[in-house]
Amino acid sequence: MKITKQVLRETRQLFRSCFVNDLLDQNRVRQVVALLVEKKPRGYAAILTRLHRLVKLELARRSVRVENAVETAPDQVAAIQAGLERVYGAGLTYSYWINPALVGGLRIQVGSDLYDGSVKTRLEKLEQSF
Amino acid sequence: MDTLNQLGVKWPELIGQTINFAIVLFVLWKLAYKPIFNMLDARREKIAAGVANADKIKVQLAQTEADRQKVLAEAGELANKIIADARAAAARVAEVETQKAIAAAEQIIAKAREASAQERAATLVELKREVGRLVVQTTLTVTGKVLSPEDQRRLAEETQRTIA
Repeated sequence: MKITKQVLRETRQLFRSCFVNDLLDQNRVRQVVALLVEKKPRGYAAILTRLHRLVKLELARRSVRVENAVETAPDQVAAIQAGLERVYGAGLTYSYWINPALVGGLRIQVGSDLYDGSVKTRLEKLEQSF
Repeated sequence: MDTLNQLGVKWPELIGQTINFAIVLFVLWKLAYKPIFNMLDARREKIAAGVANADKIKVQLAQTEADRQKVLAEAGELANKIIADARAAAARVAEVETQKAIAAAEQIIAKAREASAQERAATLVELKREVGRLVVQTTLTVTGKVLSPEDQRRLAEETQRTIA
């Protein structure tokens, strides 16, 4: 499937139209996809493929994975979310995991950013320093 | 004359005996003395020639001996010169070879030292890595058991503070 410059431009416009208050609106995305399927404009398959990729990247960029060695307390969850929304804004998708291999501390991944304060990583850094 | 007669000398006998004696003397001279004298002369000349030859040979021998001594002396000088040259050349070669051997030995020692230092450094690095691995492994094992809920909370809060 050939993706032309026109397809890229149109996909970018459609993708931007899916944002409400700088947040990706899932309903808008559904509407755009439904409209494309219904109207079938020229190169709509390529546009859908490209749009799917952009939406996937945006969701990944806004998703947060929090790993803790023990179960995260509710007040800590609130504090973490408040801290992250101060930096990245609202609209983040959170997932919490218990990972005993961390030994202690948190490992938070936001998109491609990583905040790793786990004891495991600190010890690994210490080992590398030898 | 009387005296001769008194002594018993009679002239005819004396003359006859004289003639006989002369004849015998002549015969002996012709047949015996002359060949003997000739033979003796020839022998004398031969001996003289032999002596002269001997003297000549002696002179030649002396000359030959002198030549031999001279040749020997020259040969000796030449041999000494050759030996001296050979010794000098051998000394030069020995010096050069010694210098080469010293340089090679120094190079080998330097390489050995370098290899030893590298090996020591590698061993040290390996040892440090192993010690670090053991420390980390032990710490991981022990830390998981000794961290209290408060410690876990404190560690989590440390990570939260890095987000800002």
